[in-house]
Amino acid sequence: MKNKIILFWIIVILAIAAIVTVKCLPTRLGLDLKGGSRILLEAQTTETISKITQDMMDSLKATLDRRINPNGVSEITIQQVEDKRLLIEIPKDSDLKEVRRKLSEIAELEFKKPILDDNDNIVGWESSGLTGKDLNKAEVGTDNAGRWLIHLNFNDQGARKFAKLTREFKGYPIAIYFNGEVMSEPVVQNEITGGLAQITGEFTHEKAKEDVDLLNAGALPVPAKILEENAVSPTLGVDSLHKSFVAGFIGLGFVMLFMIFWYRLPGLIADMALVIYSLLTFAVFKITGVTLTLAGIAGFILSIGMAVDANILIFERTKEELKSGRTLFTAINSGFDRAFTSIFDSNMSTIITCAILYFLGSNIVKGFALTLAIGVIVSMFSAITVTKNFMHLMFGTGQLKHPALFGLKESDINDAYQAAETQREKAKFGVLD
Amino acid sequence: MSYSVFNTKKYIDVVKYRWIWFALSFILLFPGIVAMVISMMQYPTHTPLRVGIDFTGGTIIQYSVEQNIPPEKVTDIRNKLVEQNVDSPVIQVLKPSSSDNENAIKYILSIKTKFAEDNQTDEIDKISGIISSDYPEAQIVQTNSVGPVLGKQLFVNSMIAVTLALLGIVIYLTLRFHFEFAISAFLALFHDVLFVVGVFSILGLTAGVQIDSLFVTAILTVLGFSVHDTIVVFDRIRENLKFYSKKASYDDIVNASVNQTLARSINTSLTTLFTLGALYLFGGVTTRDFVLVMILGIAIGTYSSIFFASTIVALWNDIKKAKKSKSQSEGV
Repeated sequence: MKNKIILFWIIVILAIAAIVTVKCLPTRLGLDLKGGSRILLEAQTTETISKITQDMMDSLKATLDRRINPNGVSEITIQQVEDKRLLIEIPKDSDLKEVRRKLSEIAELEFKKPILDDNDNIVGWESSGLTGKDLNKAEVGTDNAGRWLIHLNFNDQGARKFAKLTREFKGYPIAIYFNGEVMSEPVVQNEITGGLAQITGEFTHEKAKEDVDLLNAGALPVPAKILEENAVSPTLGVDSLHKSFVAGFIGLGFVMLFMIFWYRLPGLIADMALVIYSLLTFAVFKITGVTLTLAGIAGFILSIGMAVDANILIFERTKEELKSGRTLFTAINSGFDRAFTSIFDSNMSTIITCAILYFLGSNIVKGFALTLAIGVIVSMFSAITVTKNFMHLMFGTGQLKHPALFGLKESDINDAYQAAETQREKAKFGVLD
Repeated sequence: MSYSVFNTKKYIDVVKYRWIWFALSFILLFPGIVAMVISMMQYPTHTPLRVGIDFTGGTIIQYSVEQNIPPEKVTDIRNKLVEQNVDSPVIQVLKPSSSDNENAIKYILSIKTKFAEDNQTDEIDKISGIISSDYPEAQIVQTNSVGPVLGKQLFVNSMIAVTLALLGIVIYLTLRFHFEFAISAFLALFHDVLFVVGVFSILGLTAGVQIDSLFVTAILTVLGFSVHDTIVVFDRIRENLKFYSKKASYDDIVNASVNQTLARSINTSLTTLFTLGALYLFGGVTTRDFVLVMILGIAIGTYSSIFFASTIVALWNDIKKAKKSKSQSEGV
């Protein structure tokens, strides 16, 4: 009995620790509950790039990060998922449209030189070898008339290339291509050696600023395509969260009432264990940093069902044991022992499905599998340790004086004692049935 | 009857009336199977269920609107969208469960169209422009775009997940019980999944209900729960076989085990159905189908663990016994 009391206090301490954890640690909510967007990108192979390497992915990720996050202050996160995919998560207050546009631009800057025929007519354009890679920095500026333009500042290599280009094509136009389109076609007046160039055009300030950001971030090493896009408004998110909570509480309330109605005092004990179970599970969610999504909440609510199931299995078994004439202490113990195999096997099968879901499922499915698995594991602890401990402390030893506490009839127990009595007598006289 | 060994008062002879249960199962499953066949012939995807954009690719944009939109208005919106070259739009008006919250969303206008490969932004802007001309208060609450590549991949992954889950369960049951239990549990699982898929196939045909990736999750949960239920009964059969196999016939042991676990089976399902029912009625509109799958699955899972899985075990044993006696008589 002393051990039982020690265990009881351990459970109390655990429950308090769980309350503190739940209070103190922040809840990580998924996009569907707090609002926000998610974009899944996939790097695309092209004619020239037949295989996407990890280096390319790193550089793609870094480039996109510089573009979306030029100042490093926004909360947008980019992470690689699988071999050639990037997942971008955008908090609710960001402009999805703008982000989407920034992602899809390849932002390739290229200076092209004219192809001349014998009569010095321009018949086409070809690559000059000078590209965005040779750029040191781009800036927004204005010309004398106050029109917006972009200053380009080449690095040493770029400056040399640019000098060579302007020397070679003095008096001819060169073309500046950006994203596959001609931005301007200035005629070279003089050889330019300082590594400085300008792009003029009909820029608005925003457009110039955006292009400068893109130029500074650099071109994407490989094109990337949007595979999936999800956006949830904060209104809907808050609405869903609120509703799930209401539903959870109503559901839990019904379950608790049912347990008391059907199992009486043990039912009440199970309800207490259920509250502790919910606290512990939530604490584990917070400690392990589970991101709570709608599907995750559904998983949690389902795990409540399974936690209750463990208690039901145990109580039904204990009732049977009582009916077959055992004393309280042994009835409770053997009720637990005999129910354990079925609790264990059935929960194992749930955990197997969760594991498979976790490794193969999409993001939503993963959240669900994780919360359900955590819930099931915690439920085994709560049913076996918490409920059992409370039962022993509440009922003590000896014979059940008030069968009604278990929802049993007086006659059930008395018959059983009689049956046990006769069996014992039979055994004494060596009569076996 | 040797059943008295088990000393239980209320008693359903599941084994004796097995053909009634099988017939009942057939009645439950048949309409769904018919719906699946019709669906496979009717849908361009040739799938037994109406699959949503998660699997086929596409874009869904949802707007919150203040008032309900009558059907003739919906047709009107559809015509306008088609005029503006929106690819085969599907329009639905959803009513979220009521809430006391004043800022709660009243109605959701959901528009589905093809995935705009190149120009997502313009496509969404175009549709929003059309909607806001009629409903200036409309706000985008959710957009979801899935490219066709991803859809196909998700489908394949889901199939692999379901197959692996089934395989994992069968292996686990074979290790912990006997192969015949594993096969019976597997058949019960199949029975349950077939029922739920059948109901959703019917809903797809009659109410246009589409399945998404959450559906697969829900089905896998049903698998987990159904086997959970079945295992509890099997565990009891296993235990009773250990103690009573000499005193009682196999059929009696199966019967007794089912009856001993009956209260638990029903009570567990009830409590789970309470929570799920609350989720269905008061939870968000986005998870309603997901919850419905689980409600159906748990109800049928309870039925099958009581009347289907255990009777299959008994039937299996009968066949085994018949074979044995046949081979014995042949031997003589």
